[in-house]
Amino acid sequence: MATPHAATGAPGAATSPTSPTAPAAPAAVKILIAGGFGVGKTTLVGSVSEVTPLRTEEYLTRASVGVDDLSGVDQKDTTTVALDFGRITVSPELVVYLFGTPGQERFWFMWNDLVNGALGGIVIADTRRLESSFASIDFFESRGIPFVVAINCFHNTNTRTPDEIRAALDLDPQVPMLLGDVRERVFGRDLLLALVDHLMELASVAPVG
Amino acid sequence: MGPYGNDARGDGRDSTWDGRDDVRDTRGTRDDRDTRDDRWRRGEVPHWSELEEEDAEDESGSMVRPYTITRGRTAPERDDLTLITVLTTVEEEAAAALARGSRAGVRGLQPEHRMILERCRRPAAVAEVSAGLDLPVSVTKILLGDLVAQGLLRARAPLSVARAAGGVDLGLLTAVREGLRRL
Repeated sequence: MATPHAATGAPGAATSPTSPTAPAAPAAVKILIAGGFGVGKTTLVGSVSEVTPLRTEEYLTRASVGVDDLSGVDQKDTTTVALDFGRITVSPELVVYLFGTPGQERFWFMWNDLVNGALGGIVIADTRRLESSFASIDFFESRGIPFVVAINCFHNTNTRTPDEIRAALDLDPQVPMLLGDVRERVFGRDLLLALVDHLMELASVAPVG
Repeated sequence: MGPYGNDARGDGRDSTWDGRDDVRDTRGTRDDRDTRDDRWRRGEVPHWSELEEEDAEDESGSMVRPYTITRGRTAPERDDLTLITVLTTVEEEAAAALARGSRAGVRGLQPEHRMILERCRRPAAVAEVSAGLDLPVSVTKILLGDLVAQGLLRARAPLSVARAAGGVDLGLLTAVREGLRRL
């Protein structure tokens, strides 16, 4: 049962307005869209976003561990990583941002600002190369971020049953999996609703310990 | 240059804000009134999703080292700005600061600061401001931090979704669900 802990009418840390005429800032949450390279992340963002997906960039610096660098000199390696995102204004008080994660996991794994505080995720998988989405599933599982799986069927080449796909992805039975076409707004909406329902289920289960 | 181009939308110019304001016209390439969405609806341009996705090579590059804009600073004055921290211009203070012009010495407003203040008259997330300025998130955060520190911008932190305390607030989820159903 859900305990109505901290029934927050105005959740979040808003600075108190100094001007009554200023527009009130909406609260924001984010949902991550992940999956292998070219699997349709930006397409899904766009199918449900109220604006054409925007693109932003970030510099990520990693200290490369010179595996094949015999000199032993630590190198710092700065990469520019781009991500596309969209927005759904749920109400004047609440906005959902959808972030398509950069195509190569090694980049977004180290982008803490991107993954911290995410409400949940959607992993898109393509049945022709399911393995390209393994890393995303692993990532959400390891970070404890709830997610749903979208099997993108827009190539109409899916000959596998949902059970086969689920087994191939080694999905937890509780993780929702939907088949559809990520270009379709209705499918995008259903995925988001499935994620929210999944989160509600998790929230209504009393935490263990 | 990273492996990700900045041109998933095909033209890299039009769609940056959300089609409702024209701040970005300082770049001088776009039609004031028509967003790319508008033109797409009229069938004049392909839908962005039909364009090459994700792996277009960035050929434009930047002629200015990005931290030039921040006068060499590489870290913001505050570290609590996230991608979805929502910023709103504090109108009176911002108007006064803008009226003072940029003669106020090192604390004066740069063009990017002014663009931000104009943009955030309607609340916008850090990611949106970054996309609109065409500057990396880390650079944008430094500029935003300046304005927050001067009281010209208000920052609203994202909602907490901490799961340790027994999951996400059900009231929040219900509100999100209601909004999504209208999609």
